[in-house]
Amino acid sequence: MSVTHYICKYTPIELLAAFGGECKILNYMPDNFELSDQVSHANICGFGKALLEAVMEGQVKELVLVNCCDTIRSVYDVLQEEGNLDFLFMMDLLHAQGACSRERAAYELKRLAKAYGAYKGTAFDMDKFRAAFTDNPRPSAPYISVLGGRVGDSLFEMMKKSMPLPVRNDTCVHNRAVAAPDPALDFEATMEWYASALMTQIPCMRMSDVTGRKQLYNDPHLKAVIYHTVKFCDYYGFEYSELRKQLTVPLLKIESDYTIQSGGQLLTRLEAFAESIAPNDTIRKGTHKTMNGKGLYAGIDSGSTSTDVVILDKDKNIIAQTILPTGAGAAAGADRALDAALDQAGLARDDITATVTTGYGRTAIKLGDQSITEITCHAKGAYFLDPTVRTIIDIGGQDSKVIRLDDNGNVANFVMNDKCAAGTGRFLELMARTLELSLDEMSTLGLDWKEEVTISSMCTVFAESEVVSLIAENRTPADIIHGLNHSVASKTTALCRRVGGRENYMMTGGVSKNRGVVKEIEDMLGVKLHISDKAQLNGALGAALFALEM
Amino acid sequence: MENIVQTFGKTVQDVCDKNPERARKLLRIGYHAQSLRYRVQRGKMHSAAQLAALYTNRAMVAPLDHPDDAVIVSLFTPCEMLHVLGLHPFCSEGLGCYLSGACAEQSFLKYAESEGLPETFCSYHKAFIGASECGLMPKPRFIISTTLACDANTLTFRRLAEHFDVPHFVIDVPYEQDEDAVRYVADQLVRMKAFIEEHTGKSIDESALIKRCRLSQQSMDNFQRYMDLRADKQILGAISGEMYSAFMFHNLLGTEESLRYTEECLKVVEKAPAASGIRLLWMHTNPFWVKQLTDVTDFNPAVQIVGCDMCYEGFIHADPEKPYDFMARRLIFSAYNGPISRRVDRGIEEAQRLAADGVVWFCHWGCKHTLGGAQLAKRHFEEAGIPCLILDGDGCDRSHGGEGQLSTRIEAFIEMLEKEKEAAQA
Repeated sequence: MSVTHYICKYTPIELLAAFGGECKILNYMPDNFELSDQVSHANICGFGKALLEAVMEGQVKELVLVNCCDTIRSVYDVLQEEGNLDFLFMMDLLHAQGACSRERAAYELKRLAKAYGAYKGTAFDMDKFRAAFTDNPRPSAPYISVLGGRVGDSLFEMMKKSMPLPVRNDTCVHNRAVAAPDPALDFEATMEWYASALMTQIPCMRMSDVTGRKQLYNDPHLKAVIYHTVKFCDYYGFEYSELRKQLTVPLLKIESDYTIQSGGQLLTRLEAFAESIAPNDTIRKGTHKTMNGKGLYAGIDSGSTSTDVVILDKDKNIIAQTILPTGAGAAAGADRALDAALDQAGLARDDITATVTTGYGRTAIKLGDQSITEITCHAKGAYFLDPTVRTIIDIGGQDSKVIRLDDNGNVANFVMNDKCAAGTGRFLELMARTLELSLDEMSTLGLDWKEEVTISSMCTVFAESEVVSLIAENRTPADIIHGLNHSVASKTTALCRRVGGRENYMMTGGVSKNRGVVKEIEDMLGVKLHISDKAQLNGALGAALFALEM
Repeated sequence: MENIVQTFGKTVQDVCDKNPERARKLLRIGYHAQSLRYRVQRGKMHSAAQLAALYTNRAMVAPLDHPDDAVIVSLFTPCEMLHVLGLHPFCSEGLGCYLSGACAEQSFLKYAESEGLPETFCSYHKAFIGASECGLMPKPRFIISTTLACDANTLTFRRLAEHFDVPHFVIDVPYEQDEDAVRYVADQLVRMKAFIEEHTGKSIDESALIKRCRLSQQSMDNFQRYMDLRADKQILGAISGEMYSAFMFHNLLGTEESLRYTEECLKVVEKAPAASGIRLLWMHTNPFWVKQLTDVTDFNPAVQIVGCDMCYEGFIHADPEKPYDFMARRLIFSAYNGPISRRVDRGIEEAQRLAADGVVWFCHWGCKHTLGGAQLAKRHFEEAGIPCLILDGDGCDRSHGGEGQLSTRIEAFIEMLEKEKEAAQA
């Protein structure tokens, strides 16, 4: 039997069931948007593209849409011409929830009933209609809620696996809840009632009045929120912007573009969030006493550019430290860096009691007893180096992040840049290459700037062409570098604002060695950044400290 | 001049950090100076374009001068009732555009993003939100917005109403174009009248409203006539002039200024020389600040923008004696309402009316409906024999860059149209 797919909670699925339809939510996450990009545009919402991809791949033959947003309006336009669907319908849903808009919704329901009945060759069956209503009760035990824009199936599975509590999907279509009708009504009256029942659900962000959404987060059983937005869907960023000030439970913001790959890249953030909300469940402690070795503890931070190792004794003294290029493979890089550290202290692998790995390559490394995200490790390391630190700015080769600590050194909040080189070490490396300078020269040259130069493009490729133009205009390297430093600092301070950064600040990661960038960030934030001589080893140090506590 | 504007924009942004009211004063001084300039100095502009620039400029600064009479509106909000009471519509898209024109958009965009708003959100709206929340924009009396023509309208005005803590009226526009839909909107407009009366304590005289609607119909009729006559005339202008013109047919529609502008357009077209060069119909907003683009489009006998759908999208022929029905029809029968085919079909009709050689479909960053329908639009224009260029860019936010790519595309398109024209004439 064919399946009628739908995407929106305002879809009258009970009406479709009354005509014998089998309805299913479409939540497909494709590998890429090859087919969608051919018929539409790369910069429409990721879910809209995923929807186009599913239809163009032939996975969907019957589709009922609601004109939820500009992207879905466009998807409907495209599918009418390109979709090759057996049944395609879009229901007009108004934004207001008053009597007049309910009347128009009832009209739309009857229009759909007529079209769907004709397509299926069936008649409306009141018993099937009533039987199709199902309950969606709110949880009665502690849980973590995923709010915001819809999540794809595989990303939601990842959330469930990485969180220490049950996870409920309250995004978009998934918080659908429509009560069953009064059996005494005839078809016309039932449709009027049904229009009202559909429209008085917990509103989605497209509706004019969204106060009813408070039910989703004013819940005593709610222990944490993962707020998900879809790239190029704008509705939910607005709610997130409010919730970050209102919510009293921990909040993690993540964004995906609805591809499988984008889901994978979010794992670090999810794991770090789990570590911060339930450290006792996610980080093993007090087990090292049964382990062998000489009471020495290793932390390995496998980054995109370098792999750093710190070895601590039981009194938390650093007895060895190395920073080596990661090279082609995270595992081999970690082996080399650990061996170098052991050589430095004249030790063998058996002398190590426990090892914790961190960094983006952490899961690829076999040697660790446990892997912990770099966010939690950075917090640990920084607090150890300076317990007055409350905000850490870490700018590495491929990402930049800002971590806010509570008074006990635990992660209170964090943000990371999106998958984009702007504002990272890689951005500065590329610009140094364009200017034919070493990174050391880049670090200091910009301090002697004379004239203000604005690098306006946030895109690394476009910024590079701006730099080329500035060189052609005979602007001095000092002025250009100052412009670049300002650009990185501006991205970074925006992250600080988002996370609610407060003093004291510490900066870590490779870019902390860049004096020009440090000065710009200091000027923009109006604070002094503390930079430890262990700044680059901070992640590995945090990992070693966790190894000691195992 | 460009450097003066850049310095001005930077100063407004820097001052706003410490003293938003001073920054607003600075902005007012800048815009007043610009009005004075438009009044005395036409430059290369023709007389109608000069009027549009002057009137728009005055309309932008009036809410800053008189915040007590300012009403924040969306571009598509019918403003005849506000004009009856002498209130100043304060258009978020227009002010976003103006901030960009003054090179003062960046810090407000960044502020909005640091508050958690999406990077992918329309930059006109985002700049206006940032400027409001930084204190640059004054608190309005109330807000009236429509759900036409994009999602940003729902989001921006709801947020601003909360931020300023002022009453908000939303005109909900159905997708379908039928008489029920007209009635649905007209009923809301009647309620909008009551809303305005309640929050101003003044009553809106029905005959004055009808008079305003007559002005609206007259202005639209004049401009339609101007477009008919423009088909075989050469009128040089600046691409920014299309934005001013769009303002005349939205928030200033129903004013004497709008009527005078269209009367002047008719005078200009009468005197204009015969058509020559490449003629482009522009779809949607435009990045008037990209020099590489204006080098091609502005005051150039070889290439002219002959029309823009932002101006004519709401043109109707209706009965101004029924003012609510009249205003409702503008929204329901807007080319921006509903499927993309309405915009494309209207575009084909106007391209033919204006004897355009090609169409530029401008994909303004964040405008999902324009982006989503771009491929369909291109195909349909081309099937109608009108070459179409899809041009990606940002009408407001300079940080999106890509000016080089934009210039290469537009120039290549012009070269292609020139070749086609030569071949057709041979």
